[in-house]
Amino acid sequence: MTRRTASAAALVAAAALILTGCGDSDSGGSGGSGGGLSVGSAYMPQPVSDSMAAGFLVIANDGGAGDHLASVTSDVAGEVTIHTTVGQSMEQVKDLDIPAHGKLVLESGGDHLMFEKLKRKPKEGDTVSLELRFTKSDPIKVEMPVKSATYQPSTATKSASQSSSQSSSRSSSHSAARAAAFPATSPMPALSALSTTSHH
Amino acid sequence: MRKKTYAVAALFAAAALTLSACGSGDSGSDNAVAEVSTETGADKAATVLDKPFEKPDLVLTDTHGKKYDLREATAGKPTLIYFGYTNCPDVCPLTMNNIAVAKKQLAQDKKLSQAEKDSLRIVFVTTDPERDTPAALGKWLKGIDSDVVGLTGSFDTIQAGARTLGISIEAPTKGKDGKVTSMHGTQVIAFSPKTDGGYVLYGEDATVDDYTKDLPALIKGAKP
Repeated sequence: MTRRTASAAALVAAAALILTGCGDSDSGGSGGSGGGLSVGSAYMPQPVSDSMAAGFLVIANDGGAGDHLASVTSDVAGEVTIHTTVGQSMEQVKDLDIPAHGKLVLESGGDHLMFEKLKRKPKEGDTVSLELRFTKSDPIKVEMPVKSATYQPSTATKSASQSSSQSSSRSSSHSAARAAAFPATSPMPALSALSTTSHH
Repeated sequence: MRKKTYAVAALFAAAALTLSACGSGDSGSDNAVAEVSTETGADKAATVLDKPFEKPDLVLTDTHGKKYDLREATAGKPTLIYFGYTNCPDVCPLTMNNIAVAKKQLAQDKKLSQAEKDSLRIVFVTTDPERDTPAALGKWLKGIDSDVVGLTGSFDTIQAGARTLGISIEAPTKGKDGKVTSMHGTQVIAFSPKTDGGYVLYGEDATVDDYTKDLPALIKGAKP
């Protein structure tokens, strides 16, 4: 497993990422048309059935003001809701906080988007279009690639930063450290997602 | 890394302790406290229990609407059990798909006989029996692996069975908006074909690779 091979490079990368997480440096510039918001690491695991699917992404905020992810729409779903994981259950929430100089991480086992009333069953290799709307910032359009049902960003890529993210995920807590180790997002959501694909 | 193992073990132990602290009046539910071995290799997904769980005495309904006696049907067979529900977009399908993909990869294993490979039983017990009818379960599992046994029945029976494995689940609740919130189990439990005891736990973070690596040992009832 890649976990074993955590190298000095991984440590350095992790340290750099944590810094980014703390907002000490810019995290890749602002993307979309939102004020300081950028979206990356978007993916949807291929769903089991045509009834529902989950979606994950990271919204980075390098601006000085907090914002909220308020609503989401998609071309594949009649309804997209925002969910948070509380213990062993998942609850729908009205919105999720995107802290100033921070990020909102939607990841497996934690906060996620739930796609319901699917118009078609998304298949691995497809791309799903989303529009994210915020309390303050302008909406951002995201092209979300559909990955395999067992895709996990931390194991599917071999990059140093990712393996550090995996070792922290092993503790099975959704801690700030885990969020900080998430790869920095790029201004182009689709590009960021694609770069993840190429390692797969 | 070693610290991580302890952390996971502590989590399981904590979950089990919480259970025994608030077990809702079911005095009969014997010791659900998991005693875990801390020698489980530093970076392994598997947690090997020092004191295996007894296989729960669950008699439920399978996806064909037929009675399924878990102990009888899986006696002497390596068995993985997970508690979840089909209206679950994230953790439940991921867990089941991880196991299903690992199982598919067994086909390439040259050290196991076909009979050994065929002996593996994967059992998915719903935590949301009201919505997960045999038909609904069957449809969902077909999208994962139709060999998986899907079980439904009375929630109380399922809850009591889960409890003996240190898994705490509460009945689904319906919110004001009519949306149902259900709970899934926190771990997959592997039962030995030799003893029928539940001797290995996997948390939600276990990956396809973890299961692929461990299944050959589990099929033989060995420690992964």
